[in-house]
Amino acid sequence: MLTRQISVATPIFLLIFLIQEAVISQFRLPGGGFSILLIFALIWAVLSQPEVAAVIGFASGILMDLSQSAAGPFGQWTLIMLLGGYAISYIGYGDDNVHTNAIGIVFFIVVANFFVEVAYLITGALLGVSTGSFSQIIINLIGMSVWALLVSPIMLPLFTRLHALIFDSRSVI
Amino acid sequence: MRNGGEGRARLLLVILIVTSLFLITLDLRGVKVIDGFKQGTQTVLSPFQRAGAVVFNPIKDFFSDVTQLGRTSNQIEKLEAENAELKLQLLNRKNADGQLQQLEEILDLAGTAGYKIVNAKVISHGSSQSFSQTITIDSGSNAGIKKNMTVLSQFGLAGVVKDVYPNSALIQLASDPAFKVGARIAGSQQIGILSGQGNRSANLQLLDNSTTINVGDVLLARGSIANRPFVPGVPLGYVSRVDNSAGAIAQTATVRYYTNFSTIGVVAVVVSGPTSNPGDALVPQKPRVAPIPTVTVTVTPSPTASN
Repeated sequence: MLTRQISVATPIFLLIFLIQEAVISQFRLPGGGFSILLIFALIWAVLSQPEVAAVIGFASGILMDLSQSAAGPFGQWTLIMLLGGYAISYIGYGDDNVHTNAIGIVFFIVVANFFVEVAYLITGALLGVSTGSFSQIIINLIGMSVWALLVSPIMLPLFTRLHALIFDSRSVI
Repeated sequence: MRNGGEGRARLLLVILIVTSLFLITLDLRGVKVIDGFKQGTQTVLSPFQRAGAVVFNPIKDFFSDVTQLGRTSNQIEKLEAENAELKLQLLNRKNADGQLQQLEEILDLAGTAGYKIVNAKVISHGSSQSFSQTITIDSGSNAGIKKNMTVLSQFGLAGVVKDVYPNSALIQLASDPAFKVGARIAGSQQIGILSGQGNRSANLQLLDNSTTINVGDVLLARGSIANRPFVPGVPLGYVSRVDNSAGAIAQTATVRYYTNFSTIGVVAVVVSGPTSNPGDALVPQKPRVAPIPTVTVTVTPSPTASN
């Protein structure tokens, strides 16, 4: 079951990665912009079981590490996304207040996006990655959260349908 | 969860964490396999980024205009008044004209200093999710570009070549927090180190604490051995604020880059440095204020009816 789900989800993640690198990266958006791959992976993780979320986080983290804009060592995003995906799925999975409520999911995604970026900063500091002045970091963190708040509701219907298509198709058939 | 399911999930989590740590260790130890993966990904992505740049350039210009609106409102008002009849024409040719203008100014800059350059278009702006500042250009090793070459915009230093692929290259912008360049102040020749801050401002740390620095001083690149990564004499920016902390070990200042990194569209990679140091020849000219003629009105009393 897990293998089938991952094999179906992989092309979708590759497509999202391509959109991020070829389309979203064309725009230097104010406040640091957003990563559609990060938002997608977080939404996917919220809707999935913890072990699936960990694998999804791991895969999306590898893609984020492969991005040319990744400043840290290869594996840093992988580790953070793996732990982040597992953590938010562990907290949110089975909680109907999160799953059945679109506002709850969006709130969850925005908060998770913020903490994932903070975790990236902390691990980056430990690994010797330069991240800029304190004020710029604050601006970027706030900016990314605002972008996540704006983008998540737009993407949520599509992403949840994709998730349902992959994870519920067997029971429907 | 079925029997053993929880244990299996934990095992999976541990395996993935160990794999991540293993990848980090490999990369920090400089194992080439990881670089190969990144190079392969960029080779696959660059045609898509090129296509994306062609398709989304007009939209990008629109976003750029929106984000610059507050800063240039006076200029926009002036332009609106002056160029109403040219709006339609500008809309169609704005992108091409903008890039041509940038290119002309880059060629002027490079020609003055005697740099041999390769021009390239920006095909992707790196995401700021990793708090880094990078761009991808449409020329690579096939055009003679190598790692650690200086990259110019029409105003001065844009960054340095970080990675090279056959048909594209990754540029670390001067605004990147990890970016550092040796700088000297035009005229006084004081030297220091300029570090990116994640935006258009940079931090200058002078090496000699006994020297003085003033707001408005122009900074130029000092240059590196064999002109890599930095050719000498490239304009960097100007001092916008001096920090005079009493107990500071070294004098520091805030520098504003000449290059506007958010509107960068065309760059030039210096593939061969000048035969002689251009010195202060590239210091940007200060704008000259054109004298406004004073209108004098002399009132001549008209003859009254009583006269």
